[in-house]
Amino acid sequence: MRRYTRGKRVPEGIHDVNMTPLIDVSLVLVVILMITTPMAFQSGIQIRNAATSGRSAAEKVRTERIEITVVSADSVIVNRNLILRSGLSGMLRPLLALSATKTVVVRCNDKVPHGSFVSVLDEAKSCGAAQIAVIGG
Amino acid sequence: MRRQVAPHFMITKINVTPIIDVALVLVIILLVTAPLMSVADLPVDLPQARTREAEDERNVSITLSSTGRLAVDDKMISSEDLGAYLRSKLSMHENQNVLVVVRADSGAPYEAVRHLLSQAKAAGASRLAIATRQKTESTR
Repeated sequence: MRRYTRGKRVPEGIHDVNMTPLIDVSLVLVVILMITTPMAFQSGIQIRNAATSGRSAAEKVRTERIEITVVSADSVIVNRNLILRSGLSGMLRPLLALSATKTVVVRCNDKVPHGSFVSVLDEAKSCGAAQIAVIGG
Repeated sequence: MRRQVAPHFMITKINVTPIIDVALVLVIILLVTAPLMSVADLPVDLPQARTREAEDERNVSITLSSTGRLAVDDKMISSEDLGAYLRSKLSMHENQNVLVVVRADSGAPYEAVRHLLSQAKAAGASRLAIATRQKTESTR
């Protein structure tokens, strides 16, 4: 802002373009991008008790127990019924709705890819499983 | 008569606010990038999942890459030394009840992941999680 004293123009002290707000805003944008895109790539599915408590969960009352065995990438066994992988959520949802503990015990064949195993865990979670125990860990 | 501006109204001090502002932003950048530095730089294609939990928490990560190489946090390790290293790591005072995250490649056989989970369990891990990549709407 220019000031005038007795009609004379007083030159201001700073003549440079102030770069600080520009740098500031761009750094904030960098931070926002860093948080929203690359940091969002990793999340996780918590296995409450992998090995030992998986066994203890397996010892729960049979009516409350939902047991999934991942046989292959395309087929799973839910409470001794062999079904296609695509039909898992349709079978799990009513079972989990009836279950008091909402605990799902998962077994997996050694040859099954990790991605298929995780997709079963993910589907169990999204169907309403409160706790997932993995047997054989 | 026109009133003159008193000289003591002029701001003669250096404005430190922008410096503090930029410095704080840099601090935030460092805070954000610090957790990224604690993971080994191995090629891992994490499995995708819609559900998410067990995040934004300090953890010890075990990475199993697509090439079968292993790392604990940012340290590369052989499968023979994994158990001993994990045991020493988890026995540290600051790692009591810490979350152990298994970051395995989606193409790895479950057998390898099962082996990692059992080794982590044997080393004293009380809380375990499997790392996933958040599935977005477009990838569903």
